[in-house]
Amino acid sequence: MDELLADFVAETREMLEQSGSELVAWEADPSDKARIDTIFRFVHTVKGNCGFFDFPRLEKLSHAAEDALAECRAGRREPDSALVTAVLAIIDRISEMTDAIEAGEDLGEGGDDALIAALNPDGEVEVQSDIEISDLETRSAEAAKADDGSDTQKAAPRQGVQRSIRLPVDLLDEVMKGVSDMVLARNDLARRLREAGEQPTIDGPFERLSAILADVRTSITRMRMQRLEHLFSSLPRLVRDLSNELGKQVMVDFEGSEVELDREMIEMVRDPLTHIIRNAIDHGVETPAQRLKNGKREIGMLKFAARQSGNQISLVITDDGGGINVEKVAAKALANGLYSRSELDAMSEGQKQNLIFEPGLSTAEEVSSVSGRGVGMDVVRSNIERVGGSIEVTSKPGEGTSFHLKLPLTLSIIAALTVGSGDQRYAIPRSYVEEIVFGNSSHVEFAQAGDRRLVTFRDKRVPCLSLGEVLGSETNDNCEWESKTLILVRLASDDVFALAVDRVFDHEDVVVKPIAPAIMETRLYAGTTLLDDGRPMMLIDLPSIAQMRGMAGGVRAKAAPVEREKEVEAKKAVPVMLFAGLDGRHRAVRLELVRRIDTISRDAIDIEGDRAQAIIDGEILTLAGHDTGELPEERCRLLRLSDGENELVYAVREVLDAADVTDDVVPSEADRNIEGVTLIGGKPIPLLDGHAVFSRYKAARKVDHTLTCRIPSDSEWARTILEPLVSAAGYRIASDEDEGEADLAIALAEDTDGAKGVARETIRLRPDPEESGDDTIYRYDRDGLLAALKRIRTGRAA
Amino acid sequence: MNELLLMCTIAGRRAAIPAVAVQSVIEVENITPIPGTPDFICGLTALRSQALTVIDSSLALGIDQPCVSRDQRAAVVEVEGHLYAIMVDEAHDVGEARSEPVAVPGGFGDGWQRAARGMVETDGGPALLVDIPQLVSGPIAAAA
Repeated sequence: MDELLADFVAETREMLEQSGSELVAWEADPSDKARIDTIFRFVHTVKGNCGFFDFPRLEKLSHAAEDALAECRAGRREPDSALVTAVLAIIDRISEMTDAIEAGEDLGEGGDDALIAALNPDGEVEVQSDIEISDLETRSAEAAKADDGSDTQKAAPRQGVQRSIRLPVDLLDEVMKGVSDMVLARNDLARRLREAGEQPTIDGPFERLSAILADVRTSITRMRMQRLEHLFSSLPRLVRDLSNELGKQVMVDFEGSEVELDREMIEMVRDPLTHIIRNAIDHGVETPAQRLKNGKREIGMLKFAARQSGNQISLVITDDGGGINVEKVAAKALANGLYSRSELDAMSEGQKQNLIFEPGLSTAEEVSSVSGRGVGMDVVRSNIERVGGSIEVTSKPGEGTSFHLKLPLTLSIIAALTVGSGDQRYAIPRSYVEEIVFGNSSHVEFAQAGDRRLVTFRDKRVPCLSLGEVLGSETNDNCEWESKTLILVRLASDDVFALAVDRVFDHEDVVVKPIAPAIMETRLYAGTTLLDDGRPMMLIDLPSIAQMRGMAGGVRAKAAPVEREKEVEAKKAVPVMLFAGLDGRHRAVRLELVRRIDTISRDAIDIEGDRAQAIIDGEILTLAGHDTGELPEERCRLLRLSDGENELVYAVREVLDAADVTDDVVPSEADRNIEGVTLIGGKPIPLLDGHAVFSRYKAARKVDHTLTCRIPSDSEWARTILEPLVSAAGYRIASDEDEGEADLAIALAEDTDGAKGVARETIRLRPDPEESGDDTIYRYDRDGLLAALKRIRTGRAA
Repeated sequence: MNELLLMCTIAGRRAAIPAVAVQSVIEVENITPIPGTPDFICGLTALRSQALTVIDSSLALGIDQPCVSRDQRAAVVEVEGHLYAIMVDEAHDVGEARSEPVAVPGGFGDGWQRAARGMVETDGGPALLVDIPQLVSGPIAAAA
């Protein structure tokens, strides 16, 4: 069923349950205003929803009931028992229909008109009231019967109907916390198991447990989380309507719609966000004529950027309008008696801007229909703060305004980069990390301006911070910048700075736990997480550090729109890896294809006729690219390419650089091995065609590890006939010297002493085609044998 | 009445922590220091895959000397959903309070005055009853 529809059904049913007791109470005292209000709200909501879903009959019924109740509320009509009965009958009918909608059935036969007519308070009806009422009574009795019927149906859900239930968020939180703790406990156990060495009897079930846990974690997370998309998707329409109404032109831009947020949180920020948008369009963005006069594009820009950082979501809403008129805000605050002149004089520009969150302040000169009633930003702030978030504003006159919202995640699993500084490990939210470069790389140049370190990278000069210095474990003076690894950090406000760390360890998904207030006060950390070995690790609060160090410049001058467009384009660029082939020619391959770079000795490459293979870590991989030139004498560099399932290696002479292809790729008909030729740095570079490479070399299906098989070494038949068949099925033949346990052993039934060595599974082959009933396979039953091999292989590899 | 107390030594003085609040007494093994935090926060330690904030009880009282603890004993307490390990010089037995916490004329001395709920009589003599939330917020919060 449609998700929205399911929501509607669930909501209606919930309201029905709630209003059940109200209905009974109302029946006892028809003049009770509070009851009427509740029931009025119910039918009103149903009416609204029905209109949305196109259920004309439901809408008509609820509309009629709403009308009658509105009359009572307005005091134009005295509620009497006849009305009560009629409304009850309608509500019962709504309940029936809801059930029918859920089950995807037709909404039952007519009779609605009679129900609606029963609401009619006219004198004529009153004359006939006896009849009406008795009629109604039978009707409501019928309805009650129908209700009973639907109750039993509720008890036994109809087939194919996806039931949904509503749960308190607390409970979900508790479950989520439990699962997170389970993950940590599992990590701990995993470490202990690793230390204890391989134990097949435990490792198997443990792997299974891990897999189940991962699944459970994913589903629990999904229960609570919703992508911001859900919120963003409704905004373009809102912006369009508002800007039309106000005679302005506004474009919207979203970034980070894949960021996930608590469902509840999304609902909580919807209203504040709407309000901010209204304000931005109403007060911020100027009219097209005004914009042109100010030398801006006539279309205003409203940008939403969301990032996840630690247990916070930062959401920045930026407009490129006129900015906050600080003087006007201050004057208003003074006029409204919120602050005295001297208090205002003592305020910084930023503090004055934040005055807009004070209750009773609106700078709009005329009250428009959209905003400017003086209730607004203070409500926005209190709503955001109620959910534990914060909101700040930065603005530059004539250039625009940014609202920085920080919203907490009750509990989250985030992708992090683990880095080392001092002797400690820290986690950095990966969403901020734009790039990692080595300080000693030739692309990086350090410069100094005053006491500020600057780093020049890709022709951009960005300020540089040392994590060690930020945390106070070392000073800038004795910092060896060249030995550091630089992490280029892009904040939600688009400010970029470089963070120098001693080394970068790994990407990891970490469960972030809140930290004690005393640690929070340092404003350096956003949370804590546990490493696999059970040691705690701190999660660095990058936005806060950037703010403390003045790295976040608030609203960036929008004087560089050209640069921004370039950035957008650059994002569309295809990242490639440049390499020199064995013939010395430069080529490029899509970076996504490259899994890793291997260096192996020449001996590990085996070429015979059309077959070329390389052995890396005991794995045989198909070799490609060797036909372009001579293999180097000693060590050979290989690009390991992967299409997701299969892997092969591509021999190269040298790996050169990573680059972005921004120009068009001009296809080439002549050379089937390349996608085409493109310009990189002004030079034509052929781009390797991944499809062609994989289809030509038919990469071996990647198996996590090659399975071993023991065959009787003393039988000539086994060596000459059986061995090739087993190898072809993807097994490595274990020699007699191989000590360890093989994955499979094949034994001949006539060999009574069985296979030498140990194996997890054994296939026995019998010399005669006759079925002997002892689980053996006839030695020339090719299909049966291959099937058995395949079954064991897939079972083992899975 | 007769509140159960965990008797311990903090900065060489007899002190008592309400036993109800203490989840367990642990020996802190590995502490991950957190740079940038006030002195009284020693760092984090892990207990059953949960991170505890380790508090040096002596520094938290504003006494210059850090805790001298042979076996790094710490009482695990929970304050506002956060777990803390309060490191003490020595942790003794659990005993019963023989009196209500009372104030002593003249106070208990700077740090103690703030973080102690008063003096209680115990079997082993008078002890200062520690106010846990005050203790974990450290001396800085007191100044603010």
